Amino acid sequence: MVEHIKALFPRLRAAPFRVTSLPDPVYNCVAWAAGVTDDWWWPLENPTEAYWPDGVLRVRTLETIREVFATFAYAVCPGEGLEIDFEKIARFADALGVPTHAARQLPTGLWTSKLGRGEDIEHSLHDLEGHLYGAVVLVMKRPRSHG
Amino acid sequence: MPSQPIPNAAVTSSAETVEQRFRRLETIWESETQFLSDAQRIIEHPAFQEIIRLGEAVVPLMLRDLEKGPRHWVWALPRITGVNPVPQADAGNIRKMGEAWLRWGRERGYQW
Repeated sequence: MVEHIKALFPRLRAAPFRVTSLPDPVYNCVAWAAGVTDDWWWPLENPTEAYWPDGVLRVRTLETIREVFATFAYAVCPGEGLEIDFEKIARFADALGVPTHAARQLPTGLWTSKLGRGEDIEHSLHDLEGHLYGAVVLVMKRPRSHG
Repeated sequence: MPSQPIPNAAVTSSAETVEQRFRRLETIWESETQFLSDAQRIIEHPAFQEIIRLGEAVVPLMLRDLEKGPRHWVWALPRITGVNPVPQADAGNIRKMGEAWLRWGRERGYQW
């Protein structure tokens, strides 16, 4: 029952990945990257419609995404490789630079993603790149002891 | 994927009920936005906008769905009704937002 995922993420047709949850409309990838499973995080203009951290502009840009994760002690880093003492998150954006997706690195070096309202999956970071999520454009890290 | 025009969305068979049209649009919207995290794109999807244009007739259908579990109808209901009963403290909590809408519906005598 993963054909619907492979259909939208062509790289997953030839790469291993693992579904780790049922679909759930309650939380999205940004929340999941932050370790939250009971809120939908997005900078909708109306503040009653989606969670967004106080003090961060409600605009859909990579800079505001960076600010959101900076509030959780993440700092921009140059590499996505596993560093045993750090946890990392990665942001995807489309060709116009609009944020589309977030993923969080697991201690194994694989990444975990919540696919919209759909499932959580474990995957290699770049295997979600393509027409739907665009490409990885930002990686941030924080000391693992912080989380 | 999600920004394609909705074929026949505005053309409804005379035999199609509001609920049938609602469910048809829902199927399109669910399919084309399932993997999106961007709430703005989810709301702006043509099928979702068409659902909103169906107006108050679909409010009980949405409340019926919310009774079964959390749904993103919490983003359609304010646009249909012009009100939003969700407390700021529950912003983004799709489950609690749905519960606020169910309370709102009961208080206004909706049946679903």
